[in-house]
Amino acid sequence: MGLIKYLHIGRISFKNNLAYKTDFLVGSLFIALIIFILINLWQTMYADRAVIEGFTITMMIWYLVMTESIVTSPGRVIEQMGDEIRSGDIAQKLNKPYNYVLFHYAESMAKSAQRFVLTFLFGGIVTLLLIGPLTFNLNHFFPILLVVILALTLHFTLMALISVFALWLEDSKSMHFIYQKVVFVLGGMLLPLDIFPDWLASIGKSLPFSFIAYFPAKLFVGFNWNDFLILIAKQIGWILIFVACTIIVYRISFKRISINGG
Amino acid sequence: MVVSHLKLIIEYMKINIATAMEYRFNFIVQSLSMVANNAIWILFWWIFFQKFNIVNTWTMNDMIGLYAVLTFSFGIAGTVFGNRRRIAEVISEGRLDFFLTLPKNVLFHTLIGKSSWFAFGDVIFGLIMATIAFQWWQFPLYFLLCTLSAIILTSFAVIVSSLAFYMGDARSTSRQLDIGLMSFGGYPLSIFSDTAKILLMTVIPAGFISTIPVELLTQFQLKWFLILLGFTLLIFVIAIFVFYRGLRKYESGSMITTRM
Repeated sequence: MGLIKYLHIGRISFKNNLAYKTDFLVGSLFIALIIFILINLWQTMYADRAVIEGFTITMMIWYLVMTESIVTSPGRVIEQMGDEIRSGDIAQKLNKPYNYVLFHYAESMAKSAQRFVLTFLFGGIVTLLLIGPLTFNLNHFFPILLVVILALTLHFTLMALISVFALWLEDSKSMHFIYQKVVFVLGGMLLPLDIFPDWLASIGKSLPFSFIAYFPAKLFVGFNWNDFLILIAKQIGWILIFVACTIIVYRISFKRISINGG
Repeated sequence: MVVSHLKLIIEYMKINIATAMEYRFNFIVQSLSMVANNAIWILFWWIFFQKFNIVNTWTMNDMIGLYAVLTFSFGIAGTVFGNRRRIAEVISEGRLDFFLTLPKNVLFHTLIGKSSWFAFGDVIFGLIMATIAFQWWQFPLYFLLCTLSAIILTSFAVIVSSLAFYMGDARSTSRQLDIGLMSFGGYPLSIFSDTAKILLMTVIPAGFISTIPVELLTQFQLKWFLILLGFTLLIFVIAIFVFYRGLRKYESGSMITTRM
């Protein structure tokens, strides 16, 4: 039975999300709008040059489609989990026969899968129409899929870890804002880290956020088996570190929760 | 009439300040997080300009000016008219009843019904950026242009939220359109194609909330100031018209609410 229940949770979450089609469509269409803005910005920058730090304009925009799709697809996990922890609603979930964090992971991954596909599709259509296709070898489809799944998992573990601090900070929305913007910039979502000044690029590349956006998207626009193997090893390493941190922090934090009936 | 509504704003502000002081820690955390949030955008542009120096005649100082206008206007709109992003929710859930039964202008009262603490962080950040980007003698014009920008932001939010009168649930759509306006406003108009520029000066009036005010502050042109003034007036009138037209279709949720 073990992990099967989490598959069922994911399946239910998947179906629930389908019930809110408009919300989903509008959210993904919004990302297409952002891609449109970024295309305009980069067309200006590429007006007098063909390549910037190894990126052609086609590579640059497809890179951004990939980073936007990964980073935005899980939604507001910190807010959702943080609010449950802060308000005490978590009590209703702790007495259920499942692991609280794994429950949210299953829910989040189901939602992310749907949103990722839609966002990538809408962003891709805008890019195809305004910029053109990316040269992509179909043999690289499954390795890229694996990298994206690991990126989403790492993204989730970081958000799950941060959300527990709602117990002390009492405001999950603020934490979501800050985390989101750190991934936007230091994770390389808005700009490839190659464009950063060297010292800042080194910092960005050594932080876990870049394994959510920068490295996966760079691999997508310029695939290389060696880079792929190094990337998945590092992604798994970071995931294990944050899973361990999450387990420890949740154990300590849950001792602070007192359930007074209901 | 005007005086009584101004008094109402002052009373609401007093309540909001008292609430903020009661939950001081949350107020400080939310305000500071918005300052940090905006600072990260400045970091993004700093990295960008380190690499490219100039974007279609725009420099880093112009971008700081743009953020000074955008965040301060957004902050003012959020502090005074904090409910502007919740109108669609209020309509969809039938919670407009509360405002309909009181002897004040329904739209005005709904808008000032809440104040955002995050927006206070925007006000602080906008002022800090303004001290970097502008000279002291530019501040009267800066405040005037930000006021116009805040009116446009609020009017746009009212128009898109009024979709709820027709669509039923327009929360997501109105929110995304509103965020879209802010997103476009965060970039100089000069990077966009001519067709996009027309859209950004009409349907999604991002040009009027950031680029035009910044350009007026760096090089004042009476023609563009009058265009901005005219557009502000136009969108303000449209917002009132659309809201009250939609209100005829409003159906009460018969919800009993307690406002604390």
